[in-house]
This record gives sequence, structure tokens and C-alpha cells, in this order.
Amino acid sequence: MPRTARITVSAGIAAALAFGITACGGSGGDSVAADKKQTLTVWAMGAEGEKLADVAKVYEKAHPNVTVKVTPVGWDVAHQKLVSAAAAGTMPDVAQMGGSYMGEFSDLGVLEPVDTKTFDEKDYFPSGWSQGEVDGTAYGVPWYVDTRVLYYRTDLAKKAGITKAPTTWKEMQALATAYQKDAGTKWGLSIQPSGLDTVQNFYPFLYSAGGSIIDDKGKVVIDSPAAVKALKEYGSYFDKGLSNKSVQPGYDVVKDFGNGRVPMFFGGPWHVTLLDEGQPQLKGKWAVANVPADASSTSMAGGSSLVISKDSEHKAAATEFIKYLTGTEGQADWYKRTKDLPANTNAWTSGTLADDADLQVFKKQMDTAKASPTLSNLTEITDKVDQAIAKVTQGKASAEDALKTAQSQIESLVK
Amino acid sequence: MSTVTGKAAQTAKGPQGRATAKSPAAGPGASQGRQVRRKPLGRQNAAGWLFSTPFLVLFLVFMAFPILATLVMSFTDFGLRNVTHPLDAKFIGFENYVNLFGDDKFLRSLLNTGYFVVVGVPLTIGIGLLVAVLLNNGIDRARTFFRVGFYAPVVTTIVAVAVVWRFVLDPSDGLISGLFSEVGLTGPDFLGSEALAMPSMIAMAVWRNVGTVMVLFIAGLQAIPTEVREAARLDGTGVWAEFKGITVPLLRPTMLYATVITTIGYLNVFEEPFVMTQGGPSDSTLTVSLNMYREGFNFFHMGYASAMAYVLFVVIMAITVLQLRLLKDNTK
Repeated sequence: MPRTARITVSAGIAAALAFGITACGGSGGDSVAADKKQTLTVWAMGAEGEKLADVAKVYEKAHPNVTVKVTPVGWDVAHQKLVSAAAAGTMPDVAQMGGSYMGEFSDLGVLEPVDTKTFDEKDYFPSGWSQGEVDGTAYGVPWYVDTRVLYYRTDLAKKAGITKAPTTWKEMQALATAYQKDAGTKWGLSIQPSGLDTVQNFYPFLYSAGGSIIDDKGKVVIDSPAAVKALKEYGSYFDKGLSNKSVQPGYDVVKDFGNGRVPMFFGGPWHVTLLDEGQPQLKGKWAVANVPADASSTSMAGGSSLVISKDSEHKAAATEFIKYLTGTEGQADWYKRTKDLPANTNAWTSGTLADDADLQVFKKQMDTAKASPTLSNLTEITDKVDQAIAKVTQGKASAEDALKTAQSQIESLVK
Repeated sequence: MSTVTGKAAQTAKGPQGRATAKSPAAGPGASQGRQVRRKPLGRQNAAGWLFSTPFLVLFLVFMAFPILATLVMSFTDFGLRNVTHPLDAKFIGFENYVNLFGDDKFLRSLLNTGYFVVVGVPLTIGIGLLVAVLLNNGIDRARTFFRVGFYAPVVTTIVAVAVVWRFVLDPSDGLISGLFSEVGLTGPDFLGSEALAMPSMIAMAVWRNVGTVMVLFIAGLQAIPTEVREAARLDGTGVWAEFKGITVPLLRPTMLYATVITTIGYLNVFEEPFVMTQGGPSDSTLTVSLNMYREGFNFFHMGYASAMAYVLFVVIMAITVLQLRLLKDNTK
């Protein structure tokens, strides 16, 4: 029975984590100078992992003493692989790390603090830098940033009699309704009803209303009037049948955007490439707009940082490599390869990045975007918010009640 | 039952040693056990040990050790921090176990799993038996075709299966909602509704597991001697009477085995909700295994997840013993 096997494997991993070889510490002493011959091990996730190998080849040419060994890791297994590596003391020299991981791994004590003499906070988007910071110490250098903006079908909007991008919640809902009624789309807006990471769809509403999960002083404020207002608005899309109540793990919004079933969604910069490559027939029929505003137009900030392992013997060379990747030239090159938005603001002043109108939408959104707090149990905290959202979208509870429950649950998680 | 006898024999003579063996209380089983034990470790035994060493090493490292480690962990507050400092985990006695029974989410997952088993097992066994009987008796020509057809889901990977089922169940352009819209109706939202998500999951699991059960039953059916059937037919027994009087009683051992393994498999159900719904909507398809996985690997409550694993183990054990009792006694 495969199921039994899986349970055993899980138990095995757990046990390996519990009593595994804790080889960390002790090896940090003998560091290799940056100009010595050496091999850097680098882990990068998803599409970045594939593209980084090309950059590594370019880098090796300029730095013949360094061999960069890039291991692509799938996002779905990234977290477990990193935790296992941390437990076994086999972290790579350099690793890409999402903002949501940072709290956990700094807590595990496997990350080297950023050398702030080499990397200057002022060069990066504030939300990008804050993602790598835990309790005032920076552990990650922002590599690329992302934020969600509104993607919408201009051709279908025209058909529904609307020619301008929605700028307020009211206009957005009016457009969603018009799409469905007058342009014959199946849905009005694609947002997730429940399941893991639904909260990411909710952030543009929550932040724009002026709410957040945890305020700057570390107090839990998910039951604030602003948050309630945001969740009510979010839930109304499901009430009115403008958004799909059905949970579809692995759902690909790009396809439905292409066939017109879904005329609006909140997407990241990578969706530009996905649409250009996957739905070429759509060229000129869609546009991006800043998140429709309530109190403000504020979106969530995501992205990835680069970290150096505390145990690495190649910290000097690793710092050099990261310096290249997050420097102006490296960032512009990276944008060309991946369309990942540069975290270094200096990279935005030249070439495509300065001229492209779509990119300016992202730039503007990025200036105000808010990053999630870096807490070690962030996954668990956002899970409680996910549950509150699910209750509302499925019509099981009012926004007030759902968030009150979430508030008390999260309070007991944040000590 | 051989293990039980062996164990009984061992305990009977264990601590008291030779004195008990001589006493009249020790039955024939006990003296037999002693004989085996006293046999010197000869060359044959040494070879036996040598050949089983690879298995034993693997068993100890990948089964016995994790099982034990999980037990130990279930009595600690093992969390994310302990990943790099495992010895800092605090021993907290039965706290995890006590907390489990005040945890609504866990109780919900237990209930969901129970639902899955109670509905899923009879359906799987029933349909499996039906298909096996049909394939064994009727349609001679297409038999192989149908056997493969029913067995294919068993050997297909779950991800491929999930993709297909997602298409079938998709509320907007799925196969089923397509049929509904043919007649001008809106199809139900199978995976997005709390009432339908679990039944859909069960349907998929039944479809997937009927093949396994079917193969077992076909093997069982073919083991029934043809003479018995022929004799019955000569006596003028009808099809239904033959099924009730011959097939079912002679299939009992197979039935027992199929029921037990299906129940154990369903109590562990994980892949279906993991791939299809992630436990949603609103935890309506959250099973114990999925809950355990999320507690352990998403939130890193390793101690808590381990306790959950042991509760599930005890539940499985209890149900299996119960099934063996109930179904076995009936054969006599």
C-alpha cells in the first residue's frame, strides 16, 4: 500500500530531523578567501533555478577561480529541503529564500547576517529590504521583488461599455459586474475562495483598506474595522457570484484569462511573460492597473532574498557573487532573462525598465507595497487568516465573527 | 495466528525458566517453544542471519527507528527550533495527546476520516465483488479488456488521476457539468461545496481502489473448485442461491483480507484531499493524515503531529482487531 509507505517515509524524515546529524557549527572557522579557487553551491527555486545556471556561466567567465554550482529546487519542495538541510548542516553556501521563510531560518540560526558595509539598505525598495530583516538584523539581500497588480481585459471591458481602468473598489466591482452581464464572461474577478495562501489574494484588499494582520508594534490587529471592511468586500464577490467559490488547487488563471472566462485577476510581474508566451493571441487586449483603492492603493510585496549559510566556508566569494546579482548591472541583466523586478532601485533608471508603461505600474505599486512580517510561525498565522476567509466566502460566518476568531487564534501564536 | 501462539509460549516459560516447563501447567506449545530455543546456533542459522542482514538493517533504520523516534517525539514539544537543536526539545508527558482531544480541527479530521471509511469501504468491497463476479462468469471475450480497464486506475499516478478528475468535476467546463448544461441545468460544484466535496473524494477513491479488490476477488473466485459449482448446478441450484450458498462463504477469507487492507488504506487517506482540495472547503475534506502532514511539515509541530500519528495508529489497530474478530468468527 503506497499510503502506508508514505506515512513511514514521513516518520522517517521526522526522525531524521529529530536525531539527525547535527553537523552544524565548528566548521565556520576556516574561511576561503574570495580570490582562491573554489566551488560555490547555490540553491535557487522554480524558474529562477533554471535561469540562474546561465548567469552562473557568465559569472564564471569573469571570475575563473570560482565554479558556481546551481541546484534548481522546486517551490513545492523548497521549504522541506531547506529545513532538512538546516537540520543536517548541509545548507548550500548561497540560497534563494522567500520573505516568508526568513523568520524561520534566522530562528534556526543557520543564516549569516548581511554585511551592511557591502550592501546598503538605501539601494533597495523598503519592502524588499524589510523582507530580509528579522528583529532589526538583515539576513537576506533582496534579489528581486514582486507585487500584485490588477490584470484586466481591455477588449472585453470595451464590449461592456467601460474604457478606463478601475481605480476604486466600487469601480472594480462595477467592472466585474459589467463583464459578467454585458460581455458574457463566466466570472467577474478571479480571487481564491479558500485553501493555502488565499491570504495573498486578500492582501490587496486588506492593505488598501488600511488594515494588516500584525501592526508595526507587533500587536495582532486582524479584527480591526479596516480588516472587517476588506473581508466584507472580498466576500461580496462570492455572494454575488462574481467569483468562483470552488477550490481548485493548481488552478491556472492565465488560461481562463485567455479564453475570457476570467476577465480580471491580481497578478505578479511573472504573469506578463506567461501571458505573452502562453496567450499570444491576447496581445493588446489586456492591461495592468494599480490595485483599486479604498483608503489607499496598497498591494502586498513579495520577492526573494539571497542568504549566505552560517556554516559556509566560502562567505567571501558568496558575498562577491551576491554583490554581482544584486548590483545595478546584474539586476538589469536578470530582468532581461526572467522579467523578475529588480530589488535594487538604481536598476530601474535605465533602458526598458525606465520606459515601459506596464513596468511603471509595478514600480508605482512597489513604492507603497507592504511586506508580510518576518515571524517564525508566519505560515501558521496566515493559515488562521485563510480559515477566516474561507468561512466568509463559503457563507459560514460574517466577516466580523470570522476575524474575531482569527484574532484570538493568532494572539495565542504571537507571544 | 502463529505469532500469537509463539508469544504465548514465550511468556509462559519466559521469566520462570526451566521450572515452569516441567510443571503440568505448561502445554505442548510451551515445550515446543523451548526446543526451538535450545537448538544451538548452527551453521544453517548463521547463514539465515547473514542472508537476512540486509533486510534487518533496512528495517531497523527505516522502520523500527523512525517508529520509535516518533513515539519519543510525541511526548515532547518538538518544534521548528529543535530541527537544529533536537536535544533542547522539552519532555511534556501526555500534553500533546490531551490537547488533541480538545482540538476541534483534529476531531473534525477524525470525523471526516470516519465518514470516508464508513462510506468508502462497503462501496469499494461491494463494487469490487460485483465486478469480479461479472468478469469471472460472463463476457468471455472482453474479459481481459475489462480487467485492464478496472485495474488501470490502480497503477496510474495520483497526479494524473487528479487532473482527469478535476476535469470531470470542474463546475464550469467539466464533463459532468457539461452534461447538465446539455439539458439546460447548472451542474453542481463538486469540490467547492462542503456537502459534495467528501462524496466526490469517496467516489474517486472507490474508482481507484475497486481494481485492487477486484483482483483479489477474482483470485478467490478461481480458487473455488469447479466441482463444487458443478455439483450444485446438477442439483438445480439457481444463480442467486449459488452465489449466496457457495461463492460468498468460500470467499470469506478473501473478503476479510480485502476489507482489512481497504479499511487501513482509507483510514490513512491522504493523496486525494491533498491533491484535489487541500482539505477544503472549510476543512470538510481534512483527513487525519492530511492534518498530520500540515501540522508536521507546514507548521513544524513535530511533537504534536507525532502524537496524532500514534492516535491514528491506535485507531487503525483497534479497528483491524475488531474486524478480524467479527469477520473471522462468522466463518465458523
